[in-house]
Order: sequence, then structure tokens, then C-alpha cells
Amino acid sequence: MFFSLSLYIALAICGLGLVYKIWSWLSANIGEDSAEYSPGRRAAAAIKGILGAVFSPKIGTILKVLLLDGLLQRRSWQVSKLAGAAHLCIFIGFILLVWLHALGELLITDLFGDYEATLNPYLFLRNLAGVMVLVGVGLAIYRRLTVPGMRLTTRGVDGVAIALLAIILLSGFVLEGAKVISAQVFDDMVDEYGSPEDMAETNALRAFWASEYGVVFPGQDQWDPELVAQGRELNDDSCAECHVAPQWAFASYGLSRLMAVAAGPLSSEGFRDFLYYLHFLACWLGLAILPFTKFFHLLTSPLLLMINSVSDREKMNPANRAMVRALELDACTHCAVCSIHCSVAVAYKRVPNLNILPSEKLASLAAMARGKELSEGDLKIIREGCYICTSCYRCTRLCPVGINLQDLWFAQKEDLAAEGLIEPYAELGRAADNAATGSREVSLLKVSSQGLQNELRLSAQAHTFSECYRCQTCTNVCPVVFQYQWPKKELDLLPHQIMHSLGLGMREEAMGARMVWSCLTCYHCQEACPMGVQVTDVLFELRNLAAHGGVETG
Amino acid sequence: MSLRYSLFLGCKIPYFTPQFETSTRRVMAELEVELVDLEFNCCGYPMRHLYFSSYLLAAARALATSEAQDLDMMTPCKCCFGNFKRAQFLLSDNPALMEEVNAELAKEGLNYAGRCNVQHMESVLYHDVGLERLEEKVVRPFSGLNLAVMYGCHALRPSKMTGFDHPYEPTIVDQLAEVTGAVSVPWVGKLQCCGGPLKGKNDELALAMIRARLRECRDDGAEVLVVDCPYSQIQSDWAYDLVEPKDSREFVQGSILYPQLLGLALGIPPEELELELNTPDCSYLLSFLVPQEPEEAEAAG
Repeated sequence: MFFSLSLYIALAICGLGLVYKIWSWLSANIGEDSAEYSPGRRAAAAIKGILGAVFSPKIGTILKVLLLDGLLQRRSWQVSKLAGAAHLCIFIGFILLVWLHALGELLITDLFGDYEATLNPYLFLRNLAGVMVLVGVGLAIYRRLTVPGMRLTTRGVDGVAIALLAIILLSGFVLEGAKVISAQVFDDMVDEYGSPEDMAETNALRAFWASEYGVVFPGQDQWDPELVAQGRELNDDSCAECHVAPQWAFASYGLSRLMAVAAGPLSSEGFRDFLYYLHFLACWLGLAILPFTKFFHLLTSPLLLMINSVSDREKMNPANRAMVRALELDACTHCAVCSIHCSVAVAYKRVPNLNILPSEKLASLAAMARGKELSEGDLKIIREGCYICTSCYRCTRLCPVGINLQDLWFAQKEDLAAEGLIEPYAELGRAADNAATGSREVSLLKVSSQGLQNELRLSAQAHTFSECYRCQTCTNVCPVVFQYQWPKKELDLLPHQIMHSLGLGMREEAMGARMVWSCLTCYHCQEACPMGVQVTDVLFELRNLAAHGGVETG
Repeated sequence: MSLRYSLFLGCKIPYFTPQFETSTRRVMAELEVELVDLEFNCCGYPMRHLYFSSYLLAAARALATSEAQDLDMMTPCKCCFGNFKRAQFLLSDNPALMEEVNAELAKEGLNYAGRCNVQHMESVLYHDVGLERLEEKVVRPFSGLNLAVMYGCHALRPSKMTGFDHPYEPTIVDQLAEVTGAVSVPWVGKLQCCGGPLKGKNDELALAMIRARLRECRDDGAEVLVVDCPYSQIQSDWAYDLVEPKDSREFVQGSILYPQLLGLALGIPPEELELELNTPDCSYLLSFLVPQEPEEAEAAG
């Protein structure tokens, strides 16, 4: 009763979760135009798209992807042999367990006739499948701990998923081991199926099950071989129909040998009940929260890979694009492949912002898309990651579940811009310009004789600005200056004036000059300077100075 | 001696100009230059504006990745090239900086010793492969094609650091272009900026630069602009995408990447050079190729 009731509750929660997820795919907005597509329009476009693909030659491609990527886990093998092995073990093992064990009576009876959990091949295969999943979980933990990028990005969600899987498997094995050693289970079976009046026969059967099948009867570990032989015959006649040797359950049986040393408590009804409840309730919990864990990718990943195999993100119906983007947030398993291979992950060593790493930036995007309240400070941190990204496309090429991350990154920048968070370079330039406005009026009064020699240290010979004698060669060769009819009005200070300002210590004026932020970095000025002033490099330095403590960006 | 380099594609080529990768690999295979693929990080150039120390670490890490395989590096990107050269200059100039960077690299078992020689693809073709070898391999030259080459700011300057060519009178790219049988016209924008570095930061200025180049080279009689940097190609694609049809007549007819141009002259089938991915499609240049002799065409097809 409790078993079925709790199962139905779990199924109901899972179903509601699924509905919630699908609703979020229809309603979450990522990218500037996605809000134009209502859930109704997205649903209609999705149905049209699916029908169009299924009833067309594209179905061949879709099925091929389902086979290679869905069932054979091709993309996990591309990540690494270890990742592929871990996936295949967990995937095949779990499918077998669901088929042979959880749904055994339902599915096997229909296909192959009678199902008996304690007969082969089921007894053996169940253990094999369980061991496969455990090996897979072990490999997954090993990878999390040893692959540098994975350790860096591991979060609670990754631990919960692995822990739940481990609890289900271990409680199952221990329970089976407890049953193997339990005298009480043996006696109950005899009561139910045998003739309890015949003490001699029961005793012979006990002798056989104890010495051959590992049951532990309290206070008795020596059995008369004759009695055992007699028990064997009885076993063959009465029990073998439903029971093969428990040794076939190799993992549980091995475990039962360890448990035999404390057979009393470990085979007690209370302990067995505890394991039983732990086992199925952990399963139900996993089932109930399935749509909210990374195991949901069992569904979302093949779906996404099939969609991607027959569509081009740039050309697809925008209603479908809006939906696929939202679906992608749920497909991410936080496997960290993108972050391990990210072209700019190296920047994290100097700029400790996790949003540089794609897997973490995606989590931020999910928070944004799900309407989480984020402060301006949070958004600025996210933006920093977004703009250090160089759009090199590697994460998209490698994502094992087929997320078009590149598309999401472009959309994320649109969403940030909608919040008023523009490209940081442009914002810094504006802020520097504003900061300089005030001091431009009074600057001559606070000229420092010190200059900026000590602050500009990044480039080779940055201090050379003090050699400038204002010949204006740099300004004359500058293509930016050339661009304007009244360059001084557009750029605040011209290159030679900036060099000269630095010598006078006019910090804000120099950093805030629009010339600094309009520099094309073409190096004409630096090449041409007769005094060897590193003009372009000095402008680079001024921007760095503004970015790191020079100018408030708020 | 066989030529062998690590191929540093950089961050822009794989997504924005995939034809650059395809044509580079195809042409280098034709010239028997071996390119080794390593998993590189970004050269650091895009970080240099605001994150100097990330930029330097990124550049050193990429160089160290190549050094770990005892390979010199070839890159088709002029900004990556210039950036590496600058990083090498700064690191050799400043032992304290070098030590700091290597302390970080050591955590990953890497070390930058300064051995890796970084070259732009054009330097490899000019200095290592050589014009003579290219001349031998050109089987289908262009005839009557006037083109305009652009040298690329970050390869050319500061010449003290990059050492690519003479900063005011460079000839390497012109010579490489003319090997194909085309004529490299003198034009005003040859040493000028494509505007790439300000794309996304100041679009108005960035577009003004590339538009000026596309007009200038047409005015000076070129049928096509030849670039050899993903940023320049992205810039011209962008300018053509935005241009009104009536104004497009002011622009040169198209822009082509150097390995695509060279590839055609080497007799590589145009579809293997992905000319159609350029904006606008550069297939019109096929009409400038010297027609194949009938028996040659037969043998080929």
C-alpha cells in the first residue's frame, strides 16, 4: 500500500515537473526577439517542425543520431574513453535494471513468459547491471576529482545526482546480501511453500542452504554432510524451480560473506525493512525530481541532438529557436567539457570570475532566463565573463549534449544589453570621459610634477612618453584623427596631447580622453615617433589602468 | 627538409571565417607543409585592452604548448601573430615578468623558454617555402587580374617587435600576390587599418575604416581586395552585409583570403576553397584564371 501510494505520488511529481519543464521551454525568454513568441506560437511551431521532420527524408538522419548519440553515446566517447565508459556503464546498467528488475514482472512476463527474480538470467544480470552502474558512478567520481576543470566547476547538483545513484545501488546490494544470510527469510519461505510439520526435511534443507547457499542460522555452523546431501535432493525437488544458487548474484553474495560476521543485526527484519524502504524511496525520490536533476538529460540530450541534426540555428523558425534555447538550459549536465577546453579559461587564473568558464556562465544564463532577481553587481560579473569570451566556437563543437552555446552567448549579450549592460570597453570609455569632465575645468591647477612614470609599467618602455616634444607626428599619422573634421572636439585630446598630459601627471584627463577609447591600435603612431615613444602601448596601458581601479564604472 | 609547424588558428577563424581554415589546410597540403594541431588557448589579444596580465599569460601558455612539442608556430591571423611577437618581446625584455608567467605555467607542467618561432602564414610562404617553389607550383595563373593587398597593422607594426617586413615599403605580400599571375596595384590603403579592433566597441569608427578601404582599392583599379587576417575578412563581410545596393557599387567587387587566391592558382578546385562563404561570393574571380588547355582539362576532369 505504502509502496504503491508513494510510487504514485512520485510519478505525479515527476509528471508535474515534466509539465513545468515543457512550460518553461515554451515561456522562458533568451535573446532579444524571443519574448515575441508566446507559448502558443512556440507550441504550434514545434508541432509543425516535428511533423515536418518526421514525415520527410530527414527521419533517416534523426534515427541515425538517436542510435549513435542516444544509444551508443558517441559524443561521450569523443570526450574521453573514461567519460564514454562511465556513460555506457551507467546507461546500459540502468536500462537493464529498470527492465529486468524494476519493471521485470511487467515487461518480461509479456515478452518471455514467466519472470522470477531469483532465477537466471535475471539474478545474474541484475547483479551485473548493478555492478556496471556502480563502476560507472566510480568512474564519474574519479573524473570529477582528477580532471582539473571538472574539480573547479563541481557543484552541489553534481554531488546529489551521484549520491542518489550510489544510495539506490548500494542499498539494493546490501538488501540482497541481507536476504541471502537471513535465517528468518529462509524460515518464512519454508512456512509458505513447504510442509512445516516435517522437521527432519526442514532440517536437511537448512543444512543444504546453510552450507551451500550461505544462509546463517544463529548458533549453528557445522552441518552433517549426509544431512546436506539429503537437503540437496529436497532442494532440487522443491526449491530449484524458483531458486538458483545465490552465488549467481555475485556482488550481493560476495557482500553477504562480509555481512555474515554480524549476521544477527545485519539480517534482522528491522534492518532489511530499513534497506527496503531506503531502496525504493530513493528510487521514487530520483523519479520525482528527475526533471530537475542532471539525469533529465536522458531525455533532453537525444531530443536536442536530433533537433540539431536536421536544423540550422541561424535559419530556423524564430519561435522554434526560442524554444530550443530554453530546452538547452535543461540539457546541460554540467559535465564541464566546455570549461576544460575553453580558449579563454586561462584568463581565470588572473581574473577569478567563474563566469569566464562556459559551464558556469550557462548556469548564470539559466538564472537570468528563469527570472531570478540578480543585482546589478551580479549582472556585471556575468557580463565580464561574456565579454572575455572570444566566440571561438570550441564549446559548441565539443558539447556532448549538443548545446549550441555560441548561439546562447550571443543571446545572453542581447539580454544583458537590454538590462543596460553594454560592452564593458564602451562603458569604461564613457565612465572615464565623465570622470574627466569635472577635472578638465580645473586640471591645470593640480598638475603633478611626478607624472605617471610609476603607474605605467606594463609595456616595454612605457615611460618613454616623457621624451615627447610635441612634434605631432603621432597625431598626423593617426587614422582616427584623420576621420574627423574637428578631431579635438570629438576626441578630447589628440595623441601627442595625451603623451604630454602624462608627463604633467594629468591622469583623469588622459584616461578619459575619447582618443584613448577610439584607438584602433594600428600602431602607426608608435612606428612613426621620432623619439621612440611607445604611443599605442601607452594607450593600451591607460585602458588597463581605467579598468582596474582607475575609474569607477558604475 | 620538410616543413612542419603547429597551426595556431586563433579564436575568430573556426566560427567566423571557416573558409580560412579550409583553404589554409588545403594550400599547405598542396605545398607539402605539415601542420600539427594542438589544443591552444586564445593568443590573449582580445584581453589585452583591459586585462594585461591575462593576455600575457595566455600568450605565453600558447607558446609553451607549442614548445612542449618542439614545434615552431604558424598562424593565419595577423592579430594573433602580432600579439605573440609583442608578448615575446615583453617577456624577453622583462625577466621578472617571465618568471611570474612561468611560475603559473609550471602548475600545469608547461614552460615558456622563448624558443618557439612564431610566423604568420605569409612569412612561412615567403621565407620558408619560397617564391621559387610557389612559382613552380602555380599551374593555373590569373591573367589580367588587378588586386589590392592589405598588409595588416598588427603584422607590420611595431616593426621592431614583429619583424614582418619594412614598415613603410613592404613588399612581401605584393610578391606573394603576384606569384599567382595577378598584378598588385599601388593603392592608398595598403598599410592602413581595417577597423577590426573596434568592432563591437565603436562600430561607427570600425565600419568607417573598412568602408574607406573597400572604396579606396576600387578607386585605384583593383578587382578584389586580398586580406590575410580573419579580422579583416570579418570586417569586409560586415561592411558588405550592411551596405545599400546602390552604394555597393562604390566598393571593390569582393574580398578574398590569400590562401583562397593562391589555392586557385595552384589548381585546387574552387569548391575546396569555399569561395562561396565570402561575402560577396568570390567565384567571379574564376573568370580571370587562364583557361586550362583542353587536354589538361580532360586529364583533370
